[in-house]
Amino acid sequence: MQQVTRKKLGAGVNLTCVTTPKFKRAMLRVMLLLPLGGPDAALRACLPHVLRRGTAKLPDLRAIGEALDELYGARIEAAVRKEGETLCIGFLSDCIDEAYAPGAAGLTARVIRLLSDLLCDPYLQDGVFCPDYTAGERASLIDRIAAQKNDPRTWAPKRLTELMCENEPYGQPALGTSEQAQKITENKLHAAYRRALDEAQIELFYCGTMASDAVEALFAATPLTQRRDKSFYLPQTGVVSQPAGAPREVIEKEQVTQGKLSLGFRTGGSCLTAGDPAAYWMFQTIFGGSTSSKLFLNVREKKSLCYYASAQFIASKGIMQVHSGIENRDFETARDEILRQLDACRAGDITDAEIDAARKTLTTGWRAMLDDPLTLERYWLGQAAAGTLVSPEERIGQITDVTRERIVAAAQVTALDTIYFMKGAAE
Amino acid sequence: MSTKTYSALGERMETRTLDNGLRICYLPKEGFSKTFAILATDFGSVDASFTFEGKRYDTPAGVAHFLEHKMFEDEDGNALQKFARTGASPNAFTSHTMTAYHFSCTDRFEENLEILLKFVFTPYFTEENVAKERGIIGQEIGMMDDTPGWQAMVGLYKGLYREHPVRVSIAGSVESIAEITPETLYTCHRAFYSPKNMALVVCGTADFEEVCRMAAQFSPQEAPEIGERHYGSRREAVNELLVTQKMQVSQPQFLIGFKDDPLDAGESRLRRAMLGELAARILCGDTSPLYAALYEKRLIGRDFDTDYTLLPQAAAALLGGESRDPAAVRAAVEGEVSRLAHEGVDRALFDRMKKAVYGLYLRVLDVPEAYARQEAAALFAGEHYLDFAALFDTIGADDVQAMFARWARRDRCTMSVIEPK
Repeated sequence: MQQVTRKKLGAGVNLTCVTTPKFKRAMLRVMLLLPLGGPDAALRACLPHVLRRGTAKLPDLRAIGEALDELYGARIEAAVRKEGETLCIGFLSDCIDEAYAPGAAGLTARVIRLLSDLLCDPYLQDGVFCPDYTAGERASLIDRIAAQKNDPRTWAPKRLTELMCENEPYGQPALGTSEQAQKITENKLHAAYRRALDEAQIELFYCGTMASDAVEALFAATPLTQRRDKSFYLPQTGVVSQPAGAPREVIEKEQVTQGKLSLGFRTGGSCLTAGDPAAYWMFQTIFGGSTSSKLFLNVREKKSLCYYASAQFIASKGIMQVHSGIENRDFETARDEILRQLDACRAGDITDAEIDAARKTLTTGWRAMLDDPLTLERYWLGQAAAGTLVSPEERIGQITDVTRERIVAAAQVTALDTIYFMKGAAE
Repeated sequence: MSTKTYSALGERMETRTLDNGLRICYLPKEGFSKTFAILATDFGSVDASFTFEGKRYDTPAGVAHFLEHKMFEDEDGNALQKFARTGASPNAFTSHTMTAYHFSCTDRFEENLEILLKFVFTPYFTEENVAKERGIIGQEIGMMDDTPGWQAMVGLYKGLYREHPVRVSIAGSVESIAEITPETLYTCHRAFYSPKNMALVVCGTADFEEVCRMAAQFSPQEAPEIGERHYGSRREAVNELLVTQKMQVSQPQFLIGFKDDPLDAGESRLRRAMLGELAARILCGDTSPLYAALYEKRLIGRDFDTDYTLLPQAAAALLGGESRDPAAVRAAVEGEVSRLAHEGVDRALFDRMKKAVYGLYLRVLDVPEAYARQEAAALFAGEHYLDFAALFDTIGADDVQAMFARWARRDRCTMSVIEPK
């Protein structure tokens, strides 16, 4: 039913196409893949936002807004993401399928042209970005960097990652630092833009009713696929299989009511492309990946310590994290309980019912992904950034024969690296 | 039973109302791997005061949400664990106006539907399991207390309303939930989990006849009459012009609210919702002229958003995000409302914004969770979501102008601000 094709449209330009008749909207993506971190980090995080301000033909937000409304409320958002140790910057768009509105013929083609114009034909003044737009987006970026701390529930995981991977590119924030951002000028930004276009691997994505040949033709008619023959970035991520030393515990006080406890683990090298990711997903799901997991049943239901406690396998980097929100006074109790549940997995204290439930949970999750264009976009970008092309259906196949021994082995190679506790200090 | 085809939208719908009053709707999604089912009751956090079987109840804040948590527990175990055995992904939510239980699955649909119907219609509360839940919900409340966007919303409703129960946060407070007993929960379950007050919507692939047969088998035959609900006395003006709180944020977060008139008797809820969303977009949606002007002045950013909310005996437009100067944004937005109320909406702007809103409503059809939830809300109002396309054609520029005229009246605007500590 769902046909996925991947095609090289030029040097370092790839198109992933998911063709299916079932959706009434189309999802599109134009993304530049570059190494994470480095001196250009803030410039790169700023770039898609400045580009989103205007094209040569549609020079300001009013003109772009009008165009998007006419395209039946097509949305185009600047995106800055991290996939493993690869930075992805560009645009995501979704629009309705042209079959479902009067006068909408050619809508997909127009959205693709607009995406191409935003990236390749920006509004410039004197050959560089407009100073107004640059100043505005520089200030917004500085605000965004500061705003990362506003919601403790999303900040705690970011902070844990920073601490745990401080000596790896993965510890670098996708947005760069405030110091870097303050130095952004229109000239520097334009130079970084030229470098990014030269160096990036470009990942294009389409999900909708159109056949891949037709989508390819639409992209081929834009400058997006007309690439130079210079060498370009090949995505890569370093995986550290074991912690450098004994577990580190970091406690920081913040003006919040509820404490946030986050634990970071190394996976023994299991990641998207190495180790035994299938067994690792099974282990992570049994440990803390669903409402029948050990963490949910014990830390939440049995001990009433929290509203949420869950484990995530970040396969793109080969790490696992556990996140929970708890009473400040329960720090030791919750930490010990989480580690006790990990020890139970290591000791093989896993029932057949738990294994069966985990397999079903994962299967449902991957199958359900096929119904969601947004998730599919993200999934396939993750595959591209890892240099692999395993479909959700293949992932389901890989977990069917994972044995208890492999699950226990995954738990046993799991090693605690860093504990981060954000301690609430609000009155 | 009735089947209706919406060929322009490429959708079909089957509906039936059981003898006990339970409304059932099936929305087939061809080609989708997953099937989503939602069993919802027309009972939300605002329904805390009611008269049932001749007696008035004023229940503690957060009771609908507490009940949602506790419903999963049955005498023979927890429904979540039963779903785990089938691989379904279950969840639930409580909004101001609705409590809903749902699952999505990629196989064994009927087994899952049986679990859903059984646990929602079977209350099982003990002193012990209620006490245990207080700890978990207490942590959920703590989490919400630290979420600036949520606190801005709570503040906004306090600004808009003096008595309406939407003033109180959905989960209540640690103090209010301490008063909840098994008896409170049983009363609310009896009063509001009557099939007459509920709807079952299935979106994906299912056998509609079998869905109806199972719903009839696992829902109670007898359905108590729904009691009268009390929302306090209403007044035209907002309660406070400005509500501020301090939290750990990097810059102020704000929500501006325009108090609208509640739905008239017989007025279409779906049409009003579309009209409200359209007006809010014309006013300051991210493709509007005012948005562009405020963005260029660095008064708002991409996070700025607009919405329109409909509650029993209340309605309001909401606009907000982060800003270094919320007062300046408010002044500009109020000025624009007043201008639009007097001058009307530019024809070209109206036409293109209408297209955009149509696109947004259409896209919901691809998201089973959202589609089914919208249909449940529409069923409670005696409508169907898919009628949006037909209703859409009845909306004119003069309707939007009339709405702006209501927002522009004196003391109809309030603002909630979360200031940095």
